[in-house]
Amino acid sequence: MSESLSTAQKAVKLVPGSGFTGSTDDQDVLLEISHLSKNFGGLQAINDVTLNLRAGIITTLVGPNGAGKTTLFNMITGHIPPSEGDVRWQGESVIGKSPWKIARQGIARTFQDLRLFTQMTVEENILTMMEPGSWLWQPGKKSRKAKRYDKVSQILERTGLVEKRYTRALDLAYAERKFLSLARIMATDSRLWLLDEPASGLDPNSYNLFLQLLREEVKEGITVCIIEHNLDIVVNISDRIAFLDQGKLLADGEPETILNDPALAAIYFGER
Amino acid sequence: MTAYILNLLVLISVYAILSTTLNFIIGYAGIFSLAHAVFFGIGGYTAALVAMNVTPEFFVAVPVAMAAAAITSLLLALPALRVRGEYFVAASLGLQVLAVTLFSEWKSFTGGIGGVIGIPAVELFGYPVYQPWQFLLMSLICLTIIIVIIRTLVHTSFGRSLKAIRDSESAALASGKNITVIKTLSVVLSSALAAVAGALYAFYMSFINVESFMLDTSVLVMAMVIIGGTATILGPLLGAALLMLMPSALTYLTFLPQTEIGSIQQMVYGIAMVLLMIFRPGGIVSSHPGGNK
Repeated sequence: MSESLSTAQKAVKLVPGSGFTGSTDDQDVLLEISHLSKNFGGLQAINDVTLNLRAGIITTLVGPNGAGKTTLFNMITGHIPPSEGDVRWQGESVIGKSPWKIARQGIARTFQDLRLFTQMTVEENILTMMEPGSWLWQPGKKSRKAKRYDKVSQILERTGLVEKRYTRALDLAYAERKFLSLARIMATDSRLWLLDEPASGLDPNSYNLFLQLLREEVKEGITVCIIEHNLDIVVNISDRIAFLDQGKLLADGEPETILNDPALAAIYFGER
Repeated sequence: MTAYILNLLVLISVYAILSTTLNFIIGYAGIFSLAHAVFFGIGGYTAALVAMNVTPEFFVAVPVAMAAAAITSLLLALPALRVRGEYFVAASLGLQVLAVTLFSEWKSFTGGIGGVIGIPAVELFGYPVYQPWQFLLMSLICLTIIIVIIRTLVHTSFGRSLKAIRDSESAALASGKNITVIKTLSVVLSSALAAVAGALYAFYMSFINVESFMLDTSVLVMAMVIIGGTATILGPLLGAALLMLMPSALTYLTFLPQTEIGSIQQMVYGIAMVLLMIFRPGGIVSSHPGGNK
């Protein structure tokens, strides 16, 4: 692991809770999921899910394997079309739109298997997230290009990847890859982040740094939805929890309510 | 002897343009095309037609050839690049087969099997280029310009977008990249630049026919890229030099049956490709000799 990542980890002081105070019910709805369903042949992966993602908070999607959490992300981001239902981003439907159009509207995501641009350097991985233009050049003058490089430096500093700036993504250690995945999403101007198991497999120091980064971003106005299996993270970070099982949304509410529900706990731990 | 070496060098530089332009899409965008010889051919036939019917001026014939190849490639790229990579390989193979038929049968444009003969010498600002050394200089200048264009492009945001698509199409989409437009642009650019090689070849040989633009040529150029080293500038140049020199080198091995040189050459290509895939998957010139782990 790089020295800068270790230094960044040591600087972290964990504060319990996500930093959000107040009732999440009062927050504006940023993304509305209405009666969303997805069938893969005879398998009902998502079954009539209605869920609102509220602005400025962290919503955690929990549920056992196969609950349909990643499928939900794939439908929100346009990677797979739903069989039924609608997804509205700031009041406008995104169904039928290409993933790149949805991304440019402000919904960014990470992948469980990271999908880094493995042959590119860490710097290039981050830089390319700030260059969505498809033509041979990016709009704007040299000053805008300089700003992009400045932003890369800041992100590298915050994620502890400074020393790895010119390292190929493929050559990074596991924790560094995870932070690069987060760094890439930090480089976008997106308002909603969908993070698919971003902290799985992280050591405690990396995990603390990850939580701190996430809190800082939420404080800056980013809305986050996380898929997470690690209950420790779920407890530490969530402002709101949505519980999925076998494609159905079983519950959506404040963490204390969801986490203290014995029926949901039984499903989560496979006791039922 | 000098004429023989000059001839080899001209052909190496023409094929180096082809391998460099194919490497642009294979190495940087991850788009495998089996139709590169088609754009080589379109460049050749178009430049020949312009030279014979309008003017042999380089700065007229070559841009027209490039435009013709670019438009044709658009017809391939627009439908084929909307789908996954392997479909593009199949579509490019289809285009290659179709193009060979057209090159053989469309007599008013290509002269049919007999080809186009009597292509006049190319002119640079009205001065005809006759001498092989002049031609070598001209093709080397073209090669250098093309290398500079490609090298510049791969270091820009467009180049990063290409590499992002190559490494993970779904992640590139999720980062807001319109991958259909980016891939189409790269194929159009690569094809237009390949047409320069076609035009140079037509002017140099003063005769062309379909045999130079068949599937064998597409495969040969792909082998040049893979053996030399994908996603590098030097690799395709080295690949072109090695594979163009190999037939000549084999003729010096007197113990080989000279009538079977063609077959032996194919075997050597095959063995070289297999050995490279095992021991140096990134090609001879590779920034990461171990390949992609």
